[in-house]
Amino acid sequence: MDDSNGRKFQKDLNGGLVGLVLLAILNQSAEDLYGYEIAKRLASANDGTSIFKEGTIYPVLRALSAANLLTSRIVPSYSGPPRRYYRITDQGRSVLAEWTAIWAGTRDFVDRFVGQGHLDKGYSP
Amino acid sequence: MNRSAPRSIDQYLKALREELAGEDAALIQDALYDAEEYLRAEVAAHPDKSESDVLELIASTYGAPDEVASAYRDTEAKVKAAMTTPRKIPESGAGAFFGVFLDARAYTSLFFMLLSLATGVIYFTLTVTGLSLSAGFAVLIIGLPFFLIFIALTRVVSLAEGRLIEAMTGERMPRRPVHQGLAAGFWPRVIEMLKDPRTWTTLAYLILMLPLGVVYFVIAVVGLSVSLALIFTPLADLADRYGWFDIAGGLNTSPAWLGSVWAAPLLVLAGVLLLTLLMHLARGVGRLHALYAKALLVAPTAPRAAL
Repeated sequence: MDDSNGRKFQKDLNGGLVGLVLLAILNQSAEDLYGYEIAKRLASANDGTSIFKEGTIYPVLRALSAANLLTSRIVPSYSGPPRRYYRITDQGRSVLAEWTAIWAGTRDFVDRFVGQGHLDKGYSP
Repeated sequence: MNRSAPRSIDQYLKALREELAGEDAALIQDALYDAEEYLRAEVAAHPDKSESDVLELIASTYGAPDEVASAYRDTEAKVKAAMTTPRKIPESGAGAFFGVFLDARAYTSLFFMLLSLATGVIYFTLTVTGLSLSAGFAVLIIGLPFFLIFIALTRVVSLAEGRLIEAMTGERMPRRPVHQGLAAGFWPRVIEMLKDPRTWTTLAYLILMLPLGVVYFVIAVVGLSVSLALIFTPLADLADRYGWFDIAGGLNTSPAWLGSVWAAPLLVLAGVLLLTLLMHLARGVGRLHALYAKALLVAPTAPRAAL
């Protein structure tokens, strides 16, 4: 039961964060990336196991693309179906900046209550 | 959750398809496409391991089929909610009747009706040329390759037509090509393609697009010209009468009472009503055509790859 509670909490948290992380990864990357590469970058940043199930990033990539935050192109591949490479758009960059600010604010706010050692004194970095 | 975990890419895709059963066929096609891209890349990235060894770990990396399925469902619902602008169009009465002018779908559907003559001619020409050349080349060595290239081309065209229909009518259509199953070898794939009803319904759609396009185009053009003429002719006539500008020879109407001043408001009213009806008709045709296109172009949920 504990395990599924934790999973549900993680899933609820991930809701908006996946989009933020994907935009950030594509913003940092010099070249276009396809789904599998992005999934592997997520995993390698966290010792091989991603916080997000990698299957959940694909629908988000498509949603971001539909909202014109990403553009994509298709490149044939030897190992499977053609790959869709994504790149961030200017609109995506400005949304990323906005979301990053919101995330920083949210993180600081939450840390004020749950951050270790700051329970009664308020937050100090 | 504890059903036997998939041990091959095909089993995984099959399980994912079962989890998504009942969802939009276009969404299923996209989800299977994405999963196949990932799984094949993952298997290719571990040449030292067998496919079943790789698949054993897939639930903890890519996610189990049920998790992935729910991610697609959630995202789809969110995107749909974000992309459909809330309507403020009244539900009933005159507001609902004339509210069609506020509905962007009515305009795009009308545009689709006008465009469908052009696309219909192109699709028809492509399909008839491809089929007849395939038949003609059948005795030659290039016959089969030509036919296969032609079928591949119709799939590209069908995906593009789907994108056009989604843009015009809002009906969800595939954003990815159909999942082709395992590369089991050349001949099995050719036979599979020939057995796939979608291959033939796509050809039928492309051919039928010409007569449909003619009908759509005629309805749109006649409706637009008659209603706009009804609206603007009396105005032009009035302007002519009062000498604001001169129509050479004046307007001749038959019967003559149509040209009288008291008939003018009635004509304008008729024109407005006709135009409104045309907009309703266009929106309805757009919806129906989208369903029809989906039935013929998008593989039904029942998969041929279901082993």
